[in-house]
Amino acid sequence: MIKEFLKHLFPRAVLERNLTLSYTFCLGGLAFTCLILLVGSGGLLLFYYQPTPPAAYPSILLLESSVWGGRYLRSLHRLASHTFLVLIMMHTLRVVLTGAYEKPRQMNWVIGCALFFLAVFEGYTGYLLPMDQLALWATQTGMELLHIMPLGGALRSVLVPDGVGEAMSLLRFYVLHILMIPGALLLLSALHFYRIRKNKGVLPYL
Amino acid sequence: MKRGYVKSSPHFFRPVKVAFALAVLLLLALAFLVPAPLQEQANLARVPNPVKSAWFLLWIQELVSYSKYLIYLVVLLAASFVALPWLAPGTPPEGATWFAKKRRALDLLALAVFAAVLALTAVAMYFRGANWQFVAPF
Repeated sequence: MIKEFLKHLFPRAVLERNLTLSYTFCLGGLAFTCLILLVGSGGLLLFYYQPTPPAAYPSILLLESSVWGGRYLRSLHRLASHTFLVLIMMHTLRVVLTGAYEKPRQMNWVIGCALFFLAVFEGYTGYLLPMDQLALWATQTGMELLHIMPLGGALRSVLVPDGVGEAMSLLRFYVLHILMIPGALLLLSALHFYRIRKNKGVLPYL
Repeated sequence: MKRGYVKSSPHFFRPVKVAFALAVLLLLALAFLVPAPLQEQANLARVPNPVKSAWFLLWIQELVSYSKYLIYLVVLLAASFVALPWLAPGTPPEGATWFAKKRRALDLLALAVFAAVLALTAVAMYFRGANWQFVAPF
C-alpha cells in the first residue's frame, strides 16, 4: 500500500532529457533523504532526552557516556540536520537559476518556500535542546534577532514566555521540534512532490 | 508513451534509489568522523564573548551588527523570495533551463544575494571575536 502511495506521488512518465543529473543534481531528493534520516535518528534520541531544564543536559551526558551508540546517534542527527539545510539552500538556488519556479508552478514554489522556512525553524528549535552553553546562547541571540523584526516581540513572547532555556520555553521548543514542525515538513513535502506530478504536461519539466 | 518520455519506473525511480542509498551511506560514515560538540551545562550567569547565533542565522547577525534597521532588508528579501514567480519577467518557458537569457538579470541578482549571505556568514563565523570586533581567523 505504501509502495503504491509513493508511486502515485510521482508522474508515471518523465521527460528523458530531464533525467540528466546536471539538471536537478537530485538536490531536493537528497534533502528529503536527510529528513528521513533526521526522523529516524531523532525518534531514537527521544527514548533518552528529557525536556526539562535540570534534566536535559544530564540526559545528553547519559546518552553520550552510557548508551551504546548514543554519541554516534547524536552526531548523525546533527550532521544530517546541517546537511539538510545546506541541501535545501542549494536546491532553492537550483530552482531559481533554472527558472523552475515560474508559472504555472508558482504554488509549488510557495510550498517550497514554506518548507525552507520550516527547515530553518526546525534547525533553530533543535539548537536549544542539548541545553549546553552553545545551545543557550545561540538560541538567545536568535531571539534577539527575532525581537528586532516587525511583530518579532509578539512572536518571541509566544515562543519564549518565561526566558530562553527555562521550563516553558524548553517545552515549547521541544514540542515544536519533535512534533509540529516535522509533521508540517512531511505533509508539505508530500504535497511538494504531488504538485510536481500535477504540473506534468503543463510544462515539460521533470 | 509520448515521444521523448520514459516510464518513471524504472528510469526515474532507479536514480532516486541510488541517490538515496549513497546519501544515507555517506552520512552514516561521516557521522563517525564528525562528532557533535557538547560544551558545559547552560548557565545564564556565564555570558560567552562573543555570543554567536546558529550558523544558518549568522549572516543576519552580521548584517544587523552594522545597523538594526538592516533587519528590514532581510524581511524584504524573504518577501521577494516568496513572490518570485510574480516578479519574474516574461512568458512561461518551454522548459526549465539553467541561466536562460531572459532571466539573466534576476539570475545574477540571486547569485549576488547568495554570495553575500555566504560572505556575511564567513565573516561572522571566522572574523568576529570578543565584543564583535574583527579578528584574524587563525
